[in-house]
Amino acid sequence: MQVFKVFIKVLKSKWLSSLMYMIVFVAIAIPMAKEKTAESKFELNSLKIAVFDKDDTPESQELINLIKKNNEIVDIDEDKNKILDSLYSESIDYALIINEGYSSSLAAGNTDGLFGSYHVHDSYSVVYMGQFLNEYAASVKACTVSGMDITEAVKTVGSSFSEETEVSMLSEEKNSSDMPKFFGGYFRYMPYIIISAILNALCPVILTMTRRDIRYRTNCSCLRPSSFTLQLYAGSTVLVLVQWLVLIAAGLFIFGGMYSGRQWLAVLNSLIFTMVSTSLTVFIASFDPSEKVISLLTQILGLGMSFLCGIFVPLSMLSDSVLAFSRFLPAYWYVKANELICSDVGFGRVFSISDSSSAGGDLLLYMGIELGFAVTFAVLSVLVHRLRYGRVSTVAASY
Amino acid sequence: MDNTVVKIENLVKRYGQLIALDHLDLEIKEGEIFGLLGPNGSGKTTTINCLLSLLAFDKGNIKIFGREMTPVSYDIKKDIGIIMQNVAVFDELSVYENIDYFCGLYISDKAKRKQYVEEAIRFVGLEDFVKFYPKKLSGGLLRRLNIACGIAHKPKLIILDEPTVAVDPQSRNKILEGIEELNRNGATIIYTSHYMEEVEQICTRIAIMDKGRKIAEGSKDELKRMIRNTETVTIEIIGLSDDVLNEFAGLPHVYDTKYEDGKLSVFCSGGKHNLIRIMDVLRKNDLSFGRVYSELPTLNDVFLEITGKDLRDKED
Repeated sequence: MQVFKVFIKVLKSKWLSSLMYMIVFVAIAIPMAKEKTAESKFELNSLKIAVFDKDDTPESQELINLIKKNNEIVDIDEDKNKILDSLYSESIDYALIINEGYSSSLAAGNTDGLFGSYHVHDSYSVVYMGQFLNEYAASVKACTVSGMDITEAVKTVGSSFSEETEVSMLSEEKNSSDMPKFFGGYFRYMPYIIISAILNALCPVILTMTRRDIRYRTNCSCLRPSSFTLQLYAGSTVLVLVQWLVLIAAGLFIFGGMYSGRQWLAVLNSLIFTMVSTSLTVFIASFDPSEKVISLLTQILGLGMSFLCGIFVPLSMLSDSVLAFSRFLPAYWYVKANELICSDVGFGRVFSISDSSSAGGDLLLYMGIELGFAVTFAVLSVLVHRLRYGRVSTVAASY
Repeated sequence: MDNTVVKIENLVKRYGQLIALDHLDLEIKEGEIFGLLGPNGSGKTTTINCLLSLLAFDKGNIKIFGREMTPVSYDIKKDIGIIMQNVAVFDELSVYENIDYFCGLYISDKAKRKQYVEEAIRFVGLEDFVKFYPKKLSGGLLRRLNIACGIAHKPKLIILDEPTVAVDPQSRNKILEGIEELNRNGATIIYTSHYMEEVEQICTRIAIMDKGRKIAEGSKDELKRMIRNTETVTIEIIGLSDDVLNEFAGLPHVYDTKYEDGKLSVFCSGGKHNLIRIMDVLRKNDLSFGRVYSELPTLNDVFLEITGKDLRDKED
């Protein structure tokens, strides 16, 4: 077990960056799981507004009624100091003054000097109210220009502004109702960490163990190449399993207990993706990349797959052309499987191969494709090794 | 009893159209320090790689300790130690751990391995550095570690492939002394180098290689006897006329002369008083001269005379 022992010793000097990835991931995941609120509801923002109507006409009252619909009207004395105090203490967001002559100016098609205000400079409320008042005045003007009298114009614009637009939120997380909050998100983000952590830790260790001159010396020894390879695989397996278990154990902590039911499918899916990442890492290592190249590949593969395969950006928001390309990446199938597991689709349909209605979302198919990637990378690694080092086992040919 | 350790017969290795080893025959006896001398690209390392079955060859036969060497001849490999030009150690392991790892590839018994590792450390003088990591060692100490990793399992045949390249003179001498000590302790040594001085210093028998062929073999004295030159006398002299040059060329045992950049070289073959006769010519012609020195032939002269090329300048 000489090779295995040295593998672990070499690993000790290389795993720090990998650990950092996992710590950061878990550190981000904990507050997201604990604090994340449902994002499926849309709520219009409401301001606290003090209104001083110096015009006191039906038209100005119509405007106040409109403002009242979506905002809170606060009653305070019309005293500059009191208004400024209220703005400072944030008991109001905006103080609107409807100037005397508002109605007549509007009827004459003049939109200048209709309002005065007290506000906090560069605040959100200024932009919001400014935009609203400008739009309102311009709309009334448009109606009067088209021949309506002012009373009719104000009513028309009032009813038009009162119409509510239906807003539906696209949810990033399609969590089944029986799964903990952020469970789907945690497992969806996991491939980025798995691939980055494995590439960062495993690739340098494999490269160290198979360094040309070290391998040369090893090949001259009594150690059988098969034994060397087996011990190398054993070391690699221990490493990736520990990394995966850390993430799974962190999940137990985050979600407050043992996984249950279909949550185990998400765990299985992540294990399969860990195998894909390991296989990919071995394939990359067969090209003897430098440390800089490993770092670069970690970013390209980790971030690239995350953006293209629905890890950072949900699949539903990706264009068809991006999705067409993503299908050639293993993370896409991981995310598809994860979405299915975390959705409300019944167990029967998740596993059903015969049910044509669920053919596109067949979990076994997705996981099988992931495994296919793992096998492909493993075969390619062997081919590259043979092409590079030829028939007789070693690096000697390149000397 | 046959004491042949290595026997290479009719070995041919081709890289496409290039013939790296051209019908090579070598026989190395037990207890020898056998030098493989040749310029870079002459086939020394290819020979070693074929010898260790790390490289498939096209034709020929290799026997080590009387048995045919194949990639799976682990019973032969256990008695071979290899020390390369490059320092092949793990930066992540300490001196002790490195030696223990490479020794462990041959010796599985822990107690025995511990003893062997400690002996190897003492042999190369790294007792004070056992816990050091390679990056903290000087170049010379690193070379010693490299040697310790190659010899810790007490091999009967040690192959050193250019172990002194880019090594300072002091460390080089220590390495050479170490090789002689390993030989005195019973190991047969194969030493490849393109530094003829080293080969001359330590090797008991030498094969000179060029273009994948063995062009000469023997002890250093035997090799020198193969060539015409026995002595070269060099004189620093200015304004030498053709008549005087012809007079030097006509001296007994002188087979060639060369006058270049104020330096006269007189090449002699045999004869006992060549220098006196040359000095007589200088006196007779009343010539002023600077330094005069006489040199015996080197392995470079052997290589030069056989191949027409200078061994020292072949750093390709």
